[in-house]
Amino acid sequence: MSLGLKPEHADAVPSVGPVPPASPKGRELRKEFKRAWRSMVVAKWPVVALFILLCVVIAAVFGPLLAPFDPNRQNIMIRLLDPLQQSGNAFYLLGTDALGRDVFSRLLYGARISLLVGLCAIAVGGTIGVIAGLVSGYFGGWIDDVIMRLGDIQLAFPFILLAIMFLVVLGPGVLNIILVLGIGQWVTYARIVRAQTLSLREKEFVEAARALGDSTPSIIFRTILPNIVAPLTVIASFNVASVILSEAALSFLGLGVPPSVPTWGSMLAESRDQLIANRWWLAFFPGIAIVLTVLSFNIIGDWLRDFLDPRLKTIG
Amino acid sequence: MAMKRHLLLAGAAVLLAPMATALAVPPEDTIVVGISADVNTFDPAPISSRDNSNIAKHIFGTLYEITPDGDIVPDLAESYVVSEDGTSYTYTLREGLTCEDGEALTAEDAAYSFNRAADPDNAFTGNTPGFVFSSIQFQGAEAVSDLEVRIDLGRPNPVSFGLIAEVFIHCKDSYEAMTLDEAARNPVASGPYRLVSWEPGSQVVLERWKEDEGNFQNIIWRVIPEASTRTAELIAQNVDIITNVSPDQIDAINNSGSAKVAPVQGTRRIYVGFNMSDDFADTEGGAAIQNAEVRRALQYAVDVPSICTQLLNFECERATGLVNPPNGNPNLVPYPYDPEMAEQLLDEAGFPRADNGVRFEITLQAGRGRYLNDVNVVQAIGQFLSDVGVQTNVELLDWASTYVPLISQRKAGPMFFLGSGGGTWSPLYDMTDLSVVGAGTNYTHWDNPDWFDRWTDIAAAETEEERRVVINEMLEVFYEDSPWLLLYFQPDFYGVSSRVAFEPRRDEKVYLFDTKLAGN
Repeated sequence: MSLGLKPEHADAVPSVGPVPPASPKGRELRKEFKRAWRSMVVAKWPVVALFILLCVVIAAVFGPLLAPFDPNRQNIMIRLLDPLQQSGNAFYLLGTDALGRDVFSRLLYGARISLLVGLCAIAVGGTIGVIAGLVSGYFGGWIDDVIMRLGDIQLAFPFILLAIMFLVVLGPGVLNIILVLGIGQWVTYARIVRAQTLSLREKEFVEAARALGDSTPSIIFRTILPNIVAPLTVIASFNVASVILSEAALSFLGLGVPPSVPTWGSMLAESRDQLIANRWWLAFFPGIAIVLTVLSFNIIGDWLRDFLDPRLKTIG
Repeated sequence: MAMKRHLLLAGAAVLLAPMATALAVPPEDTIVVGISADVNTFDPAPISSRDNSNIAKHIFGTLYEITPDGDIVPDLAESYVVSEDGTSYTYTLREGLTCEDGEALTAEDAAYSFNRAADPDNAFTGNTPGFVFSSIQFQGAEAVSDLEVRIDLGRPNPVSFGLIAEVFIHCKDSYEAMTLDEAARNPVASGPYRLVSWEPGSQVVLERWKEDEGNFQNIIWRVIPEASTRTAELIAQNVDIITNVSPDQIDAINNSGSAKVAPVQGTRRIYVGFNMSDDFADTEGGAAIQNAEVRRALQYAVDVPSICTQLLNFECERATGLVNPPNGNPNLVPYPYDPEMAEQLLDEAGFPRADNGVRFEITLQAGRGRYLNDVNVVQAIGQFLSDVGVQTNVELLDWASTYVPLISQRKAGPMFFLGSGGGTWSPLYDMTDLSVVGAGTNYTHWDNPDWFDRWTDIAAAETEEERRVVINEMLEVFYEDSPWLLLYFQPDFYGVSSRVAFEPRRDEKVYLFDTKLAGN
């Protein structure tokens, strides 16, 4: 193990001028990042997962610059081209689909929707769930009962059924799918936050804040909330994966986004009729993109859980 | 150890048992058909879809039957007489007819079948009350004698006979004894087969009860909505015939060695309708398509022959109207694909491209999965229209739950993609979709008097030649005024297992009375 060792010749790097002294907070943060990176390197797979997610983020952010074609541009005269095919002056890296659209460009744009839906739904569900959990855990009593029973009722329905029901009523669309998937997640957050809040509200530092005259919102959001960020981060990372899968499933069922918006799930759905005719690339590439992204989020979540667990703190 | 092995074997047997059933080739006295759409009802009056009607035809008889070529074939009736003024048809039934439960089928039952479908208390919608009765202006039916039934019409109509032949006949007593709900689930057969079981969304099992009609003792109709699943089931020989083979799967079936695709030029007219009702007049696109010049311009924007060859796997000539060939107006030439002409006409109509290249925005609605490769065809049309500056937003809706209700209320649009069943035995049968402005099948709300006023001339024409002149003039009006963006007459691809000999018909009617095992 060579943990914490300086890179070779690090001392030989010339200094370009006086470096301003880092603030204690900045130093602390940098130290923590270094510890995280070392932990990742030791575990190996999180580094691979991070790299894959980085690629997905780059595809999502720079999709319009990287995509060789408009992802919605149809040309039925060049439909169902195999990967690595040339047609005229154009080269189709991952082939074309049943309407002659470039699969590679659609895959890049699809990353946008997957990430957008994944992250926004977590933001929606997380915000609702955290507030509900904090209020429920801190105040207890009938408020707690009402919020938790609402959560129980929601959990009694299979989530995908609930999502289909809402989307049939609201209609397909990116915003609607974010709302539906977000609302579907709030109970998970509320339960965890409630449990943490129940235990934290009796701790001395909370008592102290109360004794010092801090207002209730201040105690909830400035004293308790920062102390439950770690488990929330872990849950969120796992959750992004499941939300991306749900979006793919709903798009596959035709309830996701409109046909003009390329998503990995809808690409899979469109490939159904072509599989039996051996046009494998139409299902393979979006399928592999979903698998790798979901797997990467799960690996990162797994690693985060270990990394943030003080009982498993062996590195650093 | 032995215990564990036994448990494993038992477990494997349990797991494999359903597969063994799933992979069973049907017995020799049974034919299995894979269809794409579910059955809604077995009540003969409100049946509206082709798949539903195909199954019902095996259960219920009709007075006559019209072949795709226009030949008249007797069914429950053996002769008929038309009154001099053409407003009443009297049919003579065959003797000795009975229904499945033993009740004698007489003229009273035939009259009841018509009157029950028209009874406003039943509030039926569907092919018989919605299309047949409104087209013939049905007045009533009456039993003249034990075997003679008279059908009264509001005005003479040259295609009345063919329309009346679409009405399913059933016994009065058994249906009077049932509520509408019971009638929907428990058909009492007047045709050769009776219903044995119906598992909605899964399968319908029929059994032959008239010994001398039909070659198979059992017919199983399996509902398999997914095109690729239907194909896989056919290749595995779990089903004998499948409808609506996806064009991209034709090679897979033909190369399988166990089945072949039987293509046939269908009579269904596929078009994009321009909904000109007030519902859309205040939208940008809805207002634009009120202008006949715009509608005509858009005809030039869509490359229909390429859609046929690339997306439907067949060579087609673009439609010139709503009438199936060879009954169309021979003087009309299909609109060519000429995007420059489309752009020029749109400019002249007062819809130039704006700075962003868009002339106007419009929504094109379609149901998903009903017609051949419809999802891709609709998106391709959207692209062609967008290419000439008409920003087209394609909305794909669930067929049964969303799109059909919109279509039935004539509220789909401002542009909508639809296929309307047709025939080749008379041009007037195809034109009957637009019999009056308020007809349930006039989904575009088109109201050009140069078309609708001419129906009186059709009724008044004394010879076929005179009528043909009027028909041609009407078709020219339709062509010029363009209430439909004209596309094609849909080909039909049936997958047929090597186990059976089946000849598909042009009119999408899957009747299995003459189908038999191959080699027999």
